[in-house]
Amino acid sequence: MRRRNWMVLIYLFVCFLVPRHVFTQTSNMEPLVPKETPDGWIARGAPQTFTKETLFEHINGQADLFLQYGFEGSIFAVYGNNKSSQEKIDLDIYDMGAVVQAFGVFSRFRQDDRPGGIGLDSYLDDRYAFFYKGKYFVALQATESSSDGIKQIARTVESRIVDSSPPPKEIGYFPKRGLKPGSIEYYPQGLMGRQFLKRGFKATYVKPDKTEAAAEGPDSNLFIAVFPNPEEAESAFRSFKEVLIKKGSAHAPLSPQTGFEPARGEDAYQGKLIIAHKGPYLIGAAGFEKEKDAESLLAELSASIK
Amino acid sequence: MSKKIGRRTFVKGATSAVLGLATAPLLSAGHSYAAATKNRALDYRNLGKTGLRVTSVSMGAMNCSDPAVILRAFDLGVNFFDTARRYMGGRNEEIVGKVLQGKRDKVLIQTKVRMAAGERENRESVETSLKSLRTDYVDVLLAHSLKTPDEVCDPPLLEFLQAMKKEGKARFTGFSTHTDMAPLLRAAAKAGCHEVALTSYNFTHSNELKEAIALAAKAGIGVVAMKTQAGGYKAHNMGGLSPHQAALKYVLMDQNVSTAIPGVTTIEQIEECVSVMGTEFSRKDSRALQQYDSYLQGRICTMCGGCEGECPYGVNHTDFMRAAMYYDGYENKNLAEEALREGGLLQAAKRCSECSSCSIVCGRGVDVRAQVELLKRVFA
Repeated sequence: MRRRNWMVLIYLFVCFLVPRHVFTQTSNMEPLVPKETPDGWIARGAPQTFTKETLFEHINGQADLFLQYGFEGSIFAVYGNNKSSQEKIDLDIYDMGAVVQAFGVFSRFRQDDRPGGIGLDSYLDDRYAFFYKGKYFVALQATESSSDGIKQIARTVESRIVDSSPPPKEIGYFPKRGLKPGSIEYYPQGLMGRQFLKRGFKATYVKPDKTEAAAEGPDSNLFIAVFPNPEEAESAFRSFKEVLIKKGSAHAPLSPQTGFEPARGEDAYQGKLIIAHKGPYLIGAAGFEKEKDAESLLAELSASIK
Repeated sequence: MSKKIGRRTFVKGATSAVLGLATAPLLSAGHSYAAATKNRALDYRNLGKTGLRVTSVSMGAMNCSDPAVILRAFDLGVNFFDTARRYMGGRNEEIVGKVLQGKRDKVLIQTKVRMAAGERENRESVETSLKSLRTDYVDVLLAHSLKTPDEVCDPPLLEFLQAMKKEGKARFTGFSTHTDMAPLLRAAAKAGCHEVALTSYNFTHSNELKEAIALAAKAGIGVVAMKTQAGGYKAHNMGGLSPHQAALKYVLMDQNVSTAIPGVTTIEQIEECVSVMGTEFSRKDSRALQQYDSYLQGRICTMCGGCEGECPYGVNHTDFMRAAMYYDGYENKNLAEEALREGGLLQAAKRCSECSSCSIVCGRGVDVRAQVELLKRVFA
């Protein structure tokens, strides 16, 4: 009983005397939000913060995407301009927990390659800006065409983020030859639309044949599925191979000079497929018209994985 | 599926009453699984009074970036695709538009506009949507996420939607709602000013929502259901049971629902959902939901508050149970940890498990002590 009393006392001490922030690791993002920018953009009112529980109230169904990517919390502010009462810019800063997740959300939002030179990578047009830096994904949206205002606020936010994490290393594995700029995406689950591939990266490659028929066909992709260990990557490789065999679309294996043993097949939606595994990765090429192109890019990808 | 709706409704409504009442008549009606599996044809329903015939299982493209998944849905016969201007900063509409180009006459597209203060902004949003979707018109244009019954019949909103119809940019219009759905649906049914309503709806929701949906359908509104699977538990944790199909069938049992738009991101998911079409809520599904319910019984706290004040040391066990649900049910360790931290319960968990016997007796059979032990093991 005495022990219990002591414990109650300790509990009360913990609850009332120890500062709350000792237990609360949710980062305070307010310092990331500038009050104003040099060219007259001023934050209207206090910024609003959102948690996993409340994000939905702010961005509706879109919250699902953020939650899939490990959303931790966000802050939202609205900026107005002295010169025009109509113009406003919305700023959202999302704490995604890790750089790979911040990149992932960024990669799903950017529409094509329009880098703005902000953060680790960015997309910028006259109405929208998206960038990621460290574990943060930042989105800006202007009501009027205002690339200068968006850029100003984005740069100010960027300078306030002190997270110096490098971008995910897998981005660097993709061969540059033929890579469609700004096309690398990260999926936290269901890579290439397949449940068993789970998380990983996908990049799109420009087709040499620019005819209408080629444009209508499936994209040419290289992909890297990431597994916790080589055994799981090998197991996923076997599952993938089985799917191809079951669908009757598995082709005879190649005799590669690439140092890995791939499986080949065809998919109704993704075209010709070549898959292989290396270390904790399952790598693949999909939708390439010429197998030679796919093979050589895959070999390059494989070689870059150290 | 919305985590928020899922969690909130989950704890409110995941009671034996909901599932029990729903499944008992079906069991007694003698529906057989064999009979249910025979009919695998596509199932079409009227979208209210619009005259549109939609597949009862459609596709919520919201989080889908993979053209293969959308194409698979199309090939499986799905004819109704839901997106919104805001999804992925507009990119989702781009993807949907690209994939469905050349198939426009075979599909129905629904998108949403987030109503801004100015008419010009709204108009621009719709025009951008059309450009992204590579079409001159959408079949259904919804005002995105209305929150109060007053908003439903807001004159500027209705004026704008009417204008979009007159200009041929939208064939039919309506609204979407995620919160406080029943009052909004009732308001819409009463006013008769919308043709389509998109609402969260799943087996965890109350009868109030079911009745409001019935009222809306009776008024000729095409009811589109989202968040139909309410999150759901992972199959591997439930002895292989996947409640997704049963949950979807549960929604489709309600003939007042025109179509369901489960949000899918993989080929496996769309195949699983589409195969529900043309099947009935069978004995097997009843068993699955009963099993699901019994899985929840004793595991899931419904936050009834019955144990509040029971602990002599003042520990709030409801918060513990919420954290346990996040960990065990949603398999979201971060969320569980956050719930524990928010409630200052990490220390209390240590204390709690040292009690020789827990005085909390849960009417639903939740083993409170076991759940606290689980949290202690994980977050020690």
